[in-house]
Amino acid sequence: MTFFNVIRWIVWKDLATELRNRETISSMLFFALIVILIFSFSFSMDQQAAREVIAGIIWVAFAFTGIIGLGKSFSTELQNDCLEALQMVPESKGAIYLGKVTANFLFIFIVEILLFPMFIIFFNLNVVEEISLLLLIFFLATVGLSAVGTLFSALTVQIRAREVMLPILLLPLVVPVMIAAVEATKGALSGDPLTMYSQWLELLAIFDVIFTVVSFWMFEFVMDN
Amino acid sequence: MPAISCQEISKSYGHYQVLRSVTLTVHEGECFSLFGPNGAGKTTLLKILATLQRPSEGHYEILGMDGLKDKESIRGHLVFLAHGTHLYDDLNAYENLEFSLALRGNSPTVQDMKLALDRVGIGAFVEMKVRNYSAGMKKRLAIARAVLTKPKVLLLDEPFTTLDTAGTKIMREYIRERLSERGAVLMATHDYDKARPITSRAGILRQGSIQEISIDTLKSDDFF
Repeated sequence: MTFFNVIRWIVWKDLATELRNRETISSMLFFALIVILIFSFSFSMDQQAAREVIAGIIWVAFAFTGIIGLGKSFSTELQNDCLEALQMVPESKGAIYLGKVTANFLFIFIVEILLFPMFIIFFNLNVVEEISLLLLIFFLATVGLSAVGTLFSALTVQIRAREVMLPILLLPLVVPVMIAAVEATKGALSGDPLTMYSQWLELLAIFDVIFTVVSFWMFEFVMDN
Repeated sequence: MPAISCQEISKSYGHYQVLRSVTLTVHEGECFSLFGPNGAGKTTLLKILATLQRPSEGHYEILGMDGLKDKESIRGHLVFLAHGTHLYDDLNAYENLEFSLALRGNSPTVQDMKLALDRVGIGAFVEMKVRNYSAGMKKRLAIARAVLTKPKVLLLDEPFTTLDTAGTKIMREYIRERLSERGAVLMATHDYDKARPITSRAGILRQGSIQEISIDTLKSDDFF
């Protein structure tokens, strides 16, 4: 019971502090808006070219925005040495990990939901019929990104150059998630039948399970060392 | 069985050896004050005993539990009041208490929290975000959290720093309460005068080793 309570309280604390200081989500949104604006101007003369690369643009924006959020996940715990208090929790560190993953997932997913209408407007996308599939793709890819990203956020939090080290370590590992997310998004945006890209969704689901389980077990070691 | 027992604890950071074969025991109902100059290794020793760091060599037990093998069990019986207050600036006093106690499996009532906050003299500021607290108020809130936790082992790192006279009295009363309930207290401090009234035994940590001394014969400049 304590295990699930720890998860619940970690999520509550991260959401409550974010609602009050809005540091993470506002910096994520600001960065993503800049990316969307830059890309939209780059492709303003050629909508057809934009359509061909829009899936990649979406995931470049989502991945880097997510990394900003993930970086803040544990750096905020350095304030008043709160990280020490988390290390001293007399419960499996897996509960802290799952709480942090859930909070990170919510931050990134909310930002994605807020940003996607911008892509629709700036790139003139027609996605009414595919919206539920796109949400499923965003959901699966964001779980994978959050699962690995939370582990690496904890791993790099004590490193001096953590803002640089987090993307350097994280991005190569989430390449499979990003490739699968881009391919599935491309399929959905093109209006292809689901059977043509369902293997990418399956791949995303498999990565989510593997990444979450492995990171869950490794987190205890990361926190204790 | 001692509440805290370290045997030949050594700790190195690279080539720099902070602790050299430290051996120390603290019994239930006893307050051991650890004095020493800056950089002597007091905080490092406390962090090892709080299960936050691993010793390079040696072994320690808290309440008979192995410090390297039974970390989670030890953590349930121990409170470490450190330099950092372990408080979240964007939460208020109640929320900080509820959160940190919930992670330990406790669920204090509002009445319990109110009593603890009144006891440490910040009952009038419970709705204020901790961000707006002074350093002394933060320390008092950390004491309130410890009051609600009632640990068997209390580790204190410079407990009187940032506290005013009233705060110092509150801290000393809390330590006395833990001692009366057979708790064990290990306190690292520079503040000889403030520590003396509650100290059962004392030692000086110098050049990585502890030399036990009589608190009555100690002069405040002995460890500078």
